[in-house]
Amino acid sequence: MHIPDGILPVSVTAAGYAATAAVTWYSLRKIKQKEDPRQDIPKASLMTAAFFVVSLIHIPIPPTSVHLVLNGLMGALLGYYAFPAILIGLFFQAVMFGHGGLTTLGVNAIIMGLPAIIAAYIFRLRRIGNKESPRKNGVFGFLAGFVALGLSVAMFVVILLTSLPADLNAAVEQTAIFALAIAHLPLMLIEGVITAFLVIFLRRVRPAMLSSL
Amino acid sequence: MRNKWKALAAVFGVLVLSLLLPAPALAHGVNIQYSSDVEIKIVAKYDSGEPMAGAQVAVYAPDDPSTPWLTGVCDDEGRFSFTPDASIPGSWDVQVRLAGHGGMIHIPVGEGAAASGGIGGYSYLQIGLMAACVIWGSIGTALYFRRRRPA
Repeated sequence: MHIPDGILPVSVTAAGYAATAAVTWYSLRKIKQKEDPRQDIPKASLMTAAFFVVSLIHIPIPPTSVHLVLNGLMGALLGYYAFPAILIGLFFQAVMFGHGGLTTLGVNAIIMGLPAIIAAYIFRLRRIGNKESPRKNGVFGFLAGFVALGLSVAMFVVILLTSLPADLNAAVEQTAIFALAIAHLPLMLIEGVITAFLVIFLRRVRPAMLSSL
Repeated sequence: MRNKWKALAAVFGVLVLSLLLPAPALAHGVNIQYSSDVEIKIVAKYDSGEPMAGAQVAVYAPDDPSTPWLTGVCDDEGRFSFTPDASIPGSWDVQVRLAGHGGMIHIPVGEGAAASGGIGGYSYLQIGLMAACVIWGSIGTALYFRRRRPA
């Protein structure tokens, strides 16, 4: 899912950085509007560490293997904090493990961070209607994890397909990209279930851990 | 009898003619050439250890970094080999790409050529140490922002 250096043309990476700057600015503005912006920073910091490490967990889905992303969980727990948290996590992944790259940091932050914010809004839907219930909590937790990763995969595919270099065998690469996208379908289910279980658990033991968005 | 002499004369004539004609040394001359073209073998794997089967490879010669000198595909084990043109010394760039993932490796040919090399690949210990450092940094940040503030 992380696009490494040397795959995308400069125009796309520059646009990615511009978009990331805009979304980061907007997220920080939203965070600043909270009553106590510092209150959720410990939570965001620990979730950044979790996001950073979780990409090392590979799940074999033949013919390839995918790794956990959990950006939907980030959104459900962190709200707008998720975007800067993912940006920092991606930075360390690029520098330390070579997952993604520094030139593509902006693009990757948009691919994984924007769906996280959308997931936060999906998870907020648990409060519509009369009142939230454990079941609604779980259902919208699942949807947050499921949809966020789906959106990430869709953006990943679109960005790659629209910037295929001319000297590449386009048909072969397209097949490979679609194969990778299809391999992520089971992962969407897995991440949906993980997110659902975690938000059900947290609602019982520490409801303050859930996004207050 | 006369016919016999005629035949002998004809054979003799042919022999003389064959000596006069410039003949290439067909018999036992030896022509040996050698060149020290080095085949470069590449193995491309994901950091999970999986081979990049079917990955597209583009080889760029040092004199033209924009158009590929050679393109090809890795086999099922993620292997690819090619023989660079020894008359173009310098850094040959090999890009391997599969489904939006990949990387580029610079292979010196000619002066400074190395027997082997590679990019990426950390041991599990290194990865664990790096991960621990970042996690500890995050925990420290969390603790810092959790501390009680003076009233």
